[in-house]
Amino acid sequence: MTRAFATTLNALGLYAVAMVLATAFGAQLLLHELPCPLCLLQRIQFAVLAIGPIMNIRWGPRSSHYALSLLAAVAGAVFSSRQVLLHIMPGDAGYGTALFGYHYYTLALLAFIAAIVLLAVMLLFDRQFEQDGAAQLVAPGAFAMSAVWLVIGLTALNVVSTLLECGFAACADNPLVYELLKR
Amino acid sequence: MEFTALFLAITVVMIVAWRGPRPLALTLFAIVLLACIATYLHHATDTLKLSF
Repeated sequence: MTRAFATTLNALGLYAVAMVLATAFGAQLLLHELPCPLCLLQRIQFAVLAIGPIMNIRWGPRSSHYALSLLAAVAGAVFSSRQVLLHIMPGDAGYGTALFGYHYYTLALLAFIAAIVLLAVMLLFDRQFEQDGAAQLVAPGAFAMSAVWLVIGLTALNVVSTLLECGFAACADNPLVYELLKR
Repeated sequence: MEFTALFLAITVVMIVAWRGPRPLALTLFAIVLLACIATYLHHATDTLKLSF
């Protein structure tokens, strides 16, 4: 796997994270379901997961950058496992609407596990880490740059959304209204 | 409030990772990840109602 191909795959990974963040926003706005504190923490881990690919695109693929994403994915898997366990009791309806039969935190757990596997697969290809004269770092193209700014933009939108939802106090365990929009 | 701060901090880390020096981005990443784990541990005090 060449450095250029690895960079393209990292950009695709960023688009995948952007899709997850956008879907979460879609559910929040269209279904009027506000994310709970644990749900927000899982969203945060998806955003943290994106920092590794951003650095891979900027500085070229490095194993340390993949390690950042692996750490974020493991933390995300732990957080979503916690929420799965909170609703594992028979008869528990779960939190929020189910998508394709699975609640968001279950899908998040599956996504974090998939990220761990995919990151491990990426680390199998040593050629992307070689830095010879022919493989000098080239400026990222429009495809990769769009992915980076899309993820940064969605994360910044989450700053606004979370501020509206929680206000300047601790977030409610089961939020029903935006604290800053309450009359 | 802490979640707003975390999202804001991650946005800053992303911008530093994209535009700033690499060592600073790595340091900020470590701080944010530790803050996320601390926030999780702070909130993970509910009793797990396990079915077994």
